[in-house]
Amino acid sequence: MSDLVVECLGLTRVYGDDAVPVHALQGVDFRVTKGEWTALAGPSGSGKSTLLHLVGGLDRPTDGTVAVDGEKLNDLSESQLSDLRLRKVGFVFQAYNLIPVLSAVENVEFIMQLQGIEPPERHERALSVLDQLGLGDIGERRPGELSGGQQQRVAVARAIVTEPVLLLADEPSANLDSATTLELLALLRTINEQRGVTIVTATHDPIVMGHASRRVLLRDGRIESDEVVSSPA
Amino acid sequence: MKLTLLVQLSWRNLWRHRRRTVILLTTICFAVGSVLVFNALLRGMQVSMAETAIDNLNGHFKVLAPGYLDDPGIEKSFEFEPIGRPELAGDAIQGWAPRVRVPAVIRSERETRGVQFVGVVPGSEEISFLGDVAIDGEYLSGPDDRRILVGQALAQQLETGVGRRVVLITQGVDGGNRESGYRIAGVYDAVGEGIEKAFVFTGLATVQELLSVDAVTEVSVRLAEDDQNPSVLNSLTSTFSDLDVRTWQDLEPQAAMMYEMADTTVAIWFLIVMGALIFGIVNTLVTAVMERVRELGMLRAIGMRRGAVIAQVVIESMLTMTIGISIGVVLGTLSYLWLADGIDLSAFAEGLEMTGVKPELVPRLWARDVFLVVGLSLVLGILASIYPAQRAVKVQPLDAMRG
Ligand SMILES: Nc1ncnc2c1ncn2[C@@H]1O[C@H](COP(=O)(O)OP(=O)(O)OP(=O)(O)O)[C@@H](O)[C@H]1O
Ligand SMILES: [Mg+2]
Repeated sequence: MSDLVVECLGLTRVYGDDAVPVHALQGVDFRVTKGEWTALAGPSGSGKSTLLHLVGGLDRPTDGTVAVDGEKLNDLSESQLSDLRLRKVGFVFQAYNLIPVLSAVENVEFIMQLQGIEPPERHERALSVLDQLGLGDIGERRPGELSGGQQQRVAVARAIVTEPVLLLADEPSANLDSATTLELLALLRTINEQRGVTIVTATHDPIVMGHASRRVLLRDGRIESDEVVSSPA
Repeated sequence: MKLTLLVQLSWRNLWRHRRRTVILLTTICFAVGSVLVFNALLRGMQVSMAETAIDNLNGHFKVLAPGYLDDPGIEKSFEFEPIGRPELAGDAIQGWAPRVRVPAVIRSERETRGVQFVGVVPGSEEISFLGDVAIDGEYLSGPDDRRILVGQALAQQLETGVGRRVVLITQGVDGGNRESGYRIAGVYDAVGEGIEKAFVFTGLATVQELLSVDAVTEVSVRLAEDDQNPSVLNSLTSTFSDLDVRTWQDLEPQAAMMYEMADTTVAIWFLIVMGALIFGIVNTLVTAVMERVRELGMLRAIGMRRGAVIAQVVIESMLTMTIGISIGVVLGTLSYLWLADGIDLSAFAEGLEMTGVKPELVPRLWARDVFLVVGLSLVLGILASIYPAQRAVKVQPLDAMRG
């Protein structure tokens, strides 16, 4: 039980109105255990992003329950959800991850500032994370001066610097070429294996799926298959 | 959530669109600067109007016998010295000027005119225009000087001048005529022709002797500061409880009304300028928010609270206002200093001489006006950010993810 980082029961999300309802998720049961790296796969429109958003507390379900790290999100207020995202979840999106007017270090520090961590500590931690991710020499640059791959790695740095229980990534490689994608995946692998960070990625990309330890296939808002990959690439 | 972080972020955001920010700052700065200069000019006019009214034998306050104002005459008089002066904070009052003022007729060899015959203590008239008026000839030497001072305009009408003799006729307490001849000691050149034609001055004791009284008809009180302290008025009214104590506003209602109107004009001008400015600020802030929807969504997604989003917009507005206002105050003050020596209105002086307004406008920039303008501008800055902040706070985390 304590190993369960995510627990979704009967998760349903209907968009639109009663006249033209869009059933993005239709009663999904989905659990993630600590240390797993789960890839959500499936055709476009199958509900991958919707599931990820519900798990990350960015959206609320029409029906069913979501719990993250034992906390039931359904019961939380807006600001409690904000706090949960801040404390427990790290996000890497497809794009627009970083604040353009802040440098890479400042972007990483920013989230710790939101958490109320004091300046000397947060600066040290930001530098050390960037160092570990091989971004030590670009810390002073602003996002506009970084390549897409570098931006995504800075976003990962920001997502993990607060040591979240869960790292959510929605199509993190969509804007990257395959070489850069491989670098990013190697990074996620390190984080997953060495730091034990639980990861859920939604992706179309077979390379990404290949790196995950578990593959969940969605279709029409339902889980079609769920398999543990014995030896990821 | 640390405020410094939000300030830092807002500061950087401000310079994202350098041109836009510079234009907005320039607008704020001109708005504030122009309001200050306009305000200083109007204050200058106000002060000049008030000073003229106070100088024209009114003082800040005047003590009169009841009924004198409606029907002036020597029978409405009182003895000042026996009553004495109220105990007041040592430096509140600059001076007292007792006078006897009666309606009279002045006659030269050629002309006759109706005037106010005023007996004064020349030394006490420091507090009225008489204290520093330009005089051709001599000033009165003391309360028992038997010579007179007449205004330039009157001297012309009477076709008389310094050293010549004229006759003054007035009514005694008994209603009978009193008449006496006087030599003209000097001809004074006051700001308004109205004054010059109205007042003929001589020593206080001279008039008292003519009318066989020891009384005065009025005592002007001039304060050291222009702020009419109500406590002074209170002690005057209680000391002279049987008499009539009037303010210069009571005595010169027209000047008082114009004085009040200047305040309203400043306020209206401020509202017009700032109202226009607010539209600019709201517009710019809304644009900035709309441009940043994805970024704001992302900030919300990673855990920034709504309050912080609101704070960010408000801080951005306040930063813009603070910078704009600061430069505006500096520019406004510099323009004021440039004009501080006074603006020569003598091109229009012909008309002004008639109305008694001094032909030079000296602007006044009062600290309390500057604080008021700055404070109100900041409040407006906060008000201007309400709507943009509402727009910003509507941004949802998922807006970061959309197309
Ligand atoms: N905000 C929304 N309003 C209406 N319908 C939506 C909304 N978001 C998603 N949907 C619909 O819900 C369904 C699931 O969408 P979702 O984004 O989860 O799919 P996905 O698997 O992430 O697809 P993709 O691979 O294209 O990203 C789709 O039919 C989509 O059109
Ligand atoms: Mg998607």
